[in-house]
Amino acid sequence: MPKIEVPENIFYELLGKKMSDDELVDIFPVAKAELDGHDTEGHVIKIELNDTNRPDLWSTAGVARALKCYQSGNIPRYDFFSTADEEKPSDGRMVIDDESVIGIRDYSIGFAARGRAVDNDLLVNLIQSQEKLCTNFGRKRKTIAMGIYRSDLIKYPVHYAAVDPDSTKFVPLGMDEELSLREICEKHPKGKEYGHIVSSFPRFPYLYDDNNDTLSFPPVINSARIGAVEIGDSDFFIEVSGPILDDLLLAVSILSCDMADMGFEILPVKVRFAKDTPYGREITVPYYFQKPMTASLDLVHHKLGEDLSGEECVAALRKMGVEAVSSGDTITVRVPEYRNDFLHGVDVVEDIMIGHGLGNFEPVMPSDFTIGRLSPEEEFSRKVKGILVGLGFQEMMYNYLGSKREYIDNMHISGDEAVFIANPMSENYEVIRPSILPCLLESESVSGHAVYPHNIFEIGKITVKDDSDNSGTRTINSLGFFSSNAAVGYNDAASYINTLMYFLRKEYTLAEAENDPRFIPGRAARIICNGKDVGVFGETHPQVLESWGCSMPSIMAEIDLDKLLH
Amino acid sequence: MDIDVKNLHPLEVKLLRFVESGEDITEESIISGLGYKVGQCNQAFSWLTAKGCLEEVSRTKKTIYELTDTGRRMKEEGLPAERIYAFLGEKGAHAMPEIAEALGLEKSDVGSAFGLLSSKGALRLNDERKAEVAGELPEDIKDQRAILDKASGAGFLDESELSAAEKKAIAPLAKKRGASSSPFRIQERDVVVFHLTETGEETKAAIISANITGEEFSVLTPQMLQTGEWKNGTFRPYGINAPTSRLIPGRRNAYSEYLQWVKDKLTALGFEEFDGPLVENEFWNGDALFMPQFHSARDIHDVYYVKDPVHARSIEEPWLSQVAATHENGWKTGSRGWGYAFDHEFTRRQVLRSQGTVLSAHQLTKAHIPGKYFGIVRCFRYDQVDATHGADFYQTEGIVVGKDVNLKNLLGLLKMFAEEIAGAEEVKYVPGYFPFTEPSIEVHIKHPVLGWFELGGSGIFRPEVTEPLGIKEPVLAWGLGIDRMALMHLGLNDLRELFTPDIESVRTRRGN
Repeated sequence: MPKIEVPENIFYELLGKKMSDDELVDIFPVAKAELDGHDTEGHVIKIELNDTNRPDLWSTAGVARALKCYQSGNIPRYDFFSTADEEKPSDGRMVIDDESVIGIRDYSIGFAARGRAVDNDLLVNLIQSQEKLCTNFGRKRKTIAMGIYRSDLIKYPVHYAAVDPDSTKFVPLGMDEELSLREICEKHPKGKEYGHIVSSFPRFPYLYDDNNDTLSFPPVINSARIGAVEIGDSDFFIEVSGPILDDLLLAVSILSCDMADMGFEILPVKVRFAKDTPYGREITVPYYFQKPMTASLDLVHHKLGEDLSGEECVAALRKMGVEAVSSGDTITVRVPEYRNDFLHGVDVVEDIMIGHGLGNFEPVMPSDFTIGRLSPEEEFSRKVKGILVGLGFQEMMYNYLGSKREYIDNMHISGDEAVFIANPMSENYEVIRPSILPCLLESESVSGHAVYPHNIFEIGKITVKDDSDNSGTRTINSLGFFSSNAAVGYNDAASYINTLMYFLRKEYTLAEAENDPRFIPGRAARIICNGKDVGVFGETHPQVLESWGCSMPSIMAEIDLDKLLH
Repeated sequence: MDIDVKNLHPLEVKLLRFVESGEDITEESIISGLGYKVGQCNQAFSWLTAKGCLEEVSRTKKTIYELTDTGRRMKEEGLPAERIYAFLGEKGAHAMPEIAEALGLEKSDVGSAFGLLSSKGALRLNDERKAEVAGELPEDIKDQRAILDKASGAGFLDESELSAAEKKAIAPLAKKRGASSSPFRIQERDVVVFHLTETGEETKAAIISANITGEEFSVLTPQMLQTGEWKNGTFRPYGINAPTSRLIPGRRNAYSEYLQWVKDKLTALGFEEFDGPLVENEFWNGDALFMPQFHSARDIHDVYYVKDPVHARSIEEPWLSQVAATHENGWKTGSRGWGYAFDHEFTRRQVLRSQGTVLSAHQLTKAHIPGKYFGIVRCFRYDQVDATHGADFYQTEGIVVGKDVNLKNLLGLLKMFAEEIAGAEEVKYVPGYFPFTEPSIEVHIKHPVLGWFELGGSGIFRPEVTEPLGIKEPVLAWGLGIDRMALMHLGLNDLRELFTPDIESVRTRRGN
C-alpha cells in the first residue's frame, strides 16, 4: 500500500480549509485512505492509500481533490488536455521519439509547466509524487520513469533515442565528472539501482535537446545541468518514458492535474512517436485518452440491492468527481482525466456506492438456505486427534517452511522428494516440509527442560514430489507422532499404532521398513492398509537424535491420512 | 493456630494424645508407650518439631546394645553352647562333626563352644574322643542367656543401665558395627528429650475437640470392602487444600482448538468447508482472480516460486482460455480487460499459495447455487518473519453464491461474522480495495478487549473473476483476520508463538 507524507500548508491550501484529524479520519474512507499519523512538529500528515489501482490518489493534490469533490460536489475542470478532435497549442514545444528506441523503451512523452517558484515543501512534494508514480505504479521505473527538468535551459525539440552506451557521455546529477551511460550503470548509485532495466540492450535510451545538451539517461538519472531542479525554479519540463503508452499518458495526466491544482500553468508539448499508436503518430500531451464507461441501472440495483434512480446515481458519482449522465436505463460516465480504473460497469457501481454513502445501505442477511459441512478430511482428523489425545499425546502446530538442514540433513535422508523454493528469503525457509517428523524432533531438541515423557503429535500438511499429479507434487494430510523417555521402544510404537487403527476400524499388516535411515534397522515397520503403504513407525535412529542434539530415546510414526481415509 | 489438625499424620496424632505437658518425651517413652518402631518414632519427632509442637530440651550421647537378627534367633533357639550342652545331655556322647551336623552349626563354632564349656568343666572328651557332659552349665553362659532375655523386650540395652556383671556377660556377644553373626551391635546414640510446646498443647486440644484419634482408616482397600471392615471405624479426614501434584494430560493445541471453534461457528452458519494443495500456479494464485500478470503484488519478491517442477503441466480448460481472454480483452464479461498479451507460460509457473482467495476461485468451478463455502487455509507470504509476520500463516476465507446476493447481503454477512465470531460491540464499514472484488468493503469492529480494528476484507467478485470460471450469479467474497483475536484468546502477542515447537509452552497454554 502506498504511503505518502503531506505538508500541512499545501494540503490545507488545496482543500481550501483546515480540517482536524478527526474530520480527516471520518472522510478519508471515500478516498480509500487512512490517517497513518500526524507529525504536528514537522507539520506533516501521513496518509496510507489502499487502492493500488488509483495512482491519482497517491499525492497531496490527489487526496485533496477527492475530499474536496466529495464535500462540494464540484468537479474540477482541466482545459489543457488535447483530445483526438482538439489539439491544444504547443508553441513549438516538442518531443521526438526516434525509431531506435523501439523494443528498448518505446515511448517518451512530456509536458511543461510554469508560473510558480517552487519552495522546499513544494519541491519535496513534487518529488514524492514522481517517486510514487514511478515506484509503485511504474514498478520501480520498469514501466514508468519520470524526469523533471529546467524548461528555460531546453532548446526544443527534445530528442529521445537509443544510443551507444560507451561513446555517449554526460555529467550525471550528483557527480561532477563526465561518465558514459555504461559507466553510470556501474558507478552511479542510481545506475546500480535501475541500470539493470536497460543494461541488457546493445543501445541505451537517451534524452537530449536540439543543442545536443543532455536531459537524462532514462530511466536511470538526469543530467547535472538541465536535469537539476532547484528551489526557486519556476519553469519545468516533465518527461515520462516507458513501454506502455496508456500508463505514460495517465502518469502525465495525474501530474499535470496535480500541478494545475497547485497553481501552475500547464503548457502542452507535441509528441511524435516512433511507431503507430492507437492515437496516431503525433499527439499533444497532456492527452485525454479515456473512453466513456457505462453501467445499466439494472446492474447498479442488482449489485447494491438498492433501487437508486438515475439522478441519484449521477449525484453520487458527482461527489466522486465523476461526471455522468443518466439516459433511460443507462448511466454513462465521463472518466476523469487522471483516472483509468473503469474496466467494467461494476467500477461505476462502486463509485456510486461510495458517493451515495456506505452508511445508507442497510445490512440484510442472505436468505438462501444452505447446509454447513466440514470437509471429510477435517472430520477424519478430528477423530484421529481424539484418539491421540486419549493416548496421552499433546497436539502441536508447526510452520510448514523450514531449512534443508532441519528437514533433510538432520533426518539423514536424500531429500529427493522434497519441494524446494526457488527464491527463498533465507535458508531458514527454503523447503516445504516433506514430513512432520523433523518438526516433532525440533520440539524434542528445544524441550529438554519439559518433564518427560514427551508425547506429541501433529496433524498437518506436508508436500512431496509426485509425478502423477499435474503439479508434480502432492500435498498430504499427515499425522506424525513422537514419544520420548528412557524406556520407550518399538513395542510402545506398535501398541499406539494398533490402538489407533483399531478405533479407526482399519485392518493393517506390517512390513519391514528397509533402508530408512531415520529408524534403527530392524526396529521399524511400514504400515500396509488395503494394499497401500500408508505410513511408517519405529525407534528413532541415534544418528538422527544426535543430529538434532537429543539425548533421550524415542519412537516416532507418520501416517498418510488421505490414503487411510480414501 | 495455623496447624490444620486434619493434615496431621496418625503417628503425630497418637503421639500428641499420649504425651502430657511438662513431661520428658523420649524415643524410649514413645516406643514403649505407643509401640512405635524406631523409624516411626523419629518421623513423628521430626514432623512435630518442624511444626513447633515439640521442642528439644536436652541431647546426650549413650551407648546402646542393639539386638541383631542373630541375637533374636539365639534368644529363641539358644546360644550355641546351650544347644550343644542340651544335645549331649539328651542324646549322649557324640563326635564334634556329628554335633555340628545335627545342630546345623559351623564346625568352628562347635569347636570354640566346646573349648569354653570344657574349660569350665561342663564337658569333656571321652576315650572314643567323643564329647560328653561332665558338669553343670557354667554361670557365664547363664549370664549371657539372661542378657539375651533382658534385651528381647525393647530390642536394645542401655549400657548405663547394666551392672558390671551384665557388662561382662554382654562383651563377648557384642561387636561394633554390625557383623550380623553377633547377637548384639554396639551403637553410639543421641538421647534426645522433648517437651510439648504451647503450640503442641493447642494442637493436642484441637485434636481432642475434633475427635481425631489417629486410629482412623487411612486408605480404603478392596479388602476392607470385601470384609466390611470399613464399617468399624471412620476415615482420616484429608486437608482438602494440600498441594496437588502436576499432571501432564494428552491435550489439543490451544490454537488449533480456536481454529476448530471458528470452523464450527462457520458450519453452524451454513458454510461448507473447502481445502486444497499448498502448491499452486500463477493461474489460480493470480490470473483467475483477475490480477494482471504485471501486477506489483505478483513480483518475485511477493510470492515463493517452486524450484522444481517450475511449471504445472497444464491448466484446466475451459478456464484457461476464458481467463486469458478476459485479461486480454474482457472476453464476454462486459469488461474492457487489461489490454495486454496474456503470458501462457507464466500462468503455469508454480508458487506456494499466497492467499486463501485462491481456493475460493477453485471453488467457483464446482460451486452449487445457492452455496456458502469457507476454508481456513495455510498461506505463504514473502515477508521478513517477525512478531506480526509469519513465513506461513492461516487465512480464513469464503464465498457466498446466490442468484440475488448483493452489497446489502454482504454487509449483513459481515455483521454476522462480527457479532458471532468476534463478539463485536459495534461495526463500521469502509470502502476497501482488492483486485478481485468490486465493490470492496472493509469491516472494522469494536472488540470488547482489543478496541477498534479491521476484522476483514470483502466484496463482490468482479464479473471478470466469476464468469470465466462458469458462474453467472453474483458471488460475495470475504476474508477474516482472526489471528489477532486468536492471540488475544491465547494471551499471546507474537504470531510466531502460534507455531512454537516448545513443548512446555504448548502444554501450559490455554484459551480464554
